[in-house]
Amino acid sequence: MSKRFVAAYCVLVLVVAAAPLVLGQGALRFGTECMLVLSMAQMWNLLAGYAGLVSLGHQVFVGIGAYGLFLTSNSLGLSPYWVLPLAPLVCAVVAFVIALPLFRLREAYFAIAMWVFSEIVAALVTKSSWLGGTSGLPLTTSNLIDFDWFEPVMFWIAGALALASIGGLFLMMRSSFGLGLMSVRDNDLAAMSVGVDVQRNRFIVFLLSAAGCGLAGAVSFLGNLYVLPSAGFDVNWVVYMMFIVIIGGIGTLEGPVIGTVIFFSLREIITDQFDLTAGWYLVALGTAAVVVMLWSPRGLWPPLRDRFGWQLLGVSRKAPNLGKLPDEAGQPG
Amino acid sequence: MDWIETLVNGALLGGLYGLLGIGLALVFGVMRVVNIAHGEFMVLAAYLGVMLVSLFPHVQPLLVLIPVILAAFAVGYVFQATIVNRVIRAPDPLAPLLLTFGVSIVLRNLMVVVFGADVRSLQLGALSRSGVNLFGIRIGVMPLLTLFVAVVLFLLLQWALNHTTFGRVVRATADRSDIVRLFGVKPERVYNYVMGLSLALGAIAGVLLAARSSFTPFSGVERLLIAFEVVVLGGLGSFWGALLGGIMLGMAQLAGLKWDPNAGLLYAHLLFFVMLLIRPAGLVANRA
Repeated sequence: MSKRFVAAYCVLVLVVAAAPLVLGQGALRFGTECMLVLSMAQMWNLLAGYAGLVSLGHQVFVGIGAYGLFLTSNSLGLSPYWVLPLAPLVCAVVAFVIALPLFRLREAYFAIAMWVFSEIVAALVTKSSWLGGTSGLPLTTSNLIDFDWFEPVMFWIAGALALASIGGLFLMMRSSFGLGLMSVRDNDLAAMSVGVDVQRNRFIVFLLSAAGCGLAGAVSFLGNLYVLPSAGFDVNWVVYMMFIVIIGGIGTLEGPVIGTVIFFSLREIITDQFDLTAGWYLVALGTAAVVVMLWSPRGLWPPLRDRFGWQLLGVSRKAPNLGKLPDEAGQPG
Repeated sequence: MDWIETLVNGALLGGLYGLLGIGLALVFGVMRVVNIAHGEFMVLAAYLGVMLVSLFPHVQPLLVLIPVILAAFAVGYVFQATIVNRVIRAPDPLAPLLLTFGVSIVLRNLMVVVFGADVRSLQLGALSRSGVNLFGIRIGVMPLLTLFVAVVLFLLLQWALNHTTFGRVVRATADRSDIVRLFGVKPERVYNYVMGLSLALGAIAGVLLAARSSFTPFSGVERLLIAFEVVVLGGLGSFWGALLGGIMLGMAQLAGLKWDPNAGLLYAHLLFFVMLLIRPAGLVANRA
């Protein structure tokens, strides 16, 4: 691993650690939201961009993570910070179970079947009285939270999550596991012929992606101290993840970062500067995504990278220099 | 007797659901694209229908179907020609899926902005209330008419695909879009007509569904999911399978609603998921 990467990463860690000392409460909340959405987008990117599984139902993990946190914290009477690790665990278990039927399906079938699953879970949660039904769940253990430190702690958790997702994915893609994933994405037949276990790789990635989304969702709703089924299982979660990844560049680690910056700038410009409703904002975002898909199907980052030769989180490898191949040299001219 | 009435009505609703699915199945069968925006286009057709009915209050409401169908065909043609055709040759099979998902978000939110989020429905006057008694079961005239329309359309479509030049060209393009070029057929143009036809079928279903129950700009999601479930349950390429799948879903939904009044589409979705579990071989086989 390059020294430059380690140095840049350490600087980012310091920036996140020090930010609450400088920023006001509003800016901290905004930063927290940005980093959580970035983490979710990276998780969707991991699944779609590296394992080739597009999920249109990833909001289900956001909701399950949030409900998992609220339920365990409320019933055990423990501080939500302590039970936070349970949220991704619950999501991973759910992902494990539904992977059995869903992994028989490919491409669009998998995408929409995930969506149907999300609708089923949302409907069941809305109907069950012990989960609060349509009126949702409050966090009854909020008296265990020190509210002087609430915003900074949330910011730190979100920052840790965002940095861990980027750093973790970077390391993963440089490992043999990541190499296997990318080889399947680029040519699954060739990958299988050299012994890459496609289904196993996809399964692991699906679990990781679900767990990461669940954790980000749990932290997001912990910030509100309240979860509603219509908000937790909102289809817009997956819309945000997908648009960020598509606009920035699917299958790259830098793409979602760029996508998140564009996503939130667009939101602030449209809702703040022009004072338009959220509907217009989604129209603009969707139009931007459609235009990018038509004009630059790989997203904005890869053309920029190729044009200027930038390498931030490059995970590509150079082919070993074999010299001139014998049959090439021996060919008559 | 109550339950029989529910199941009969579910079957009648299922005819409509079959119609929802057939447009989606047609596009998938010919160009291997799942049009995620299909539901939004149906809702758009319903809005157009409601607008026309309020503009011309003295005309029989069902006659709005004619301009709505023509408009939907034109929209489909242009949608395919300007947007979908540009990604149809992409090396990534998921490109059209993501693209049409983006279009669906734009359409849905445009409808929210333009028409508001209020609940609307298409008023058909006396027709929606009239019913007939059959062996002691009361059946609405509208649902009967809807099932009749669905069956007629299914027969027409099957006949057109099997016995007309257009149908032969469409089937040939679906099989080998590279070879049909040798016979002077432009696959892209065939796709334009197929998308127009698909959205026209969707528009019929959208208007009839709007007359049956209310809708909002967000209704496109459930319409798409139902259409998709119909296609998967019925099996691709089989029109009668789609009708059968629709009938199963319609029965599941109405039986579920009778047992549990605020269930919505939960039981239809559950039926789909159970079928996914117990008949995966059929599903996989249908993909080919």
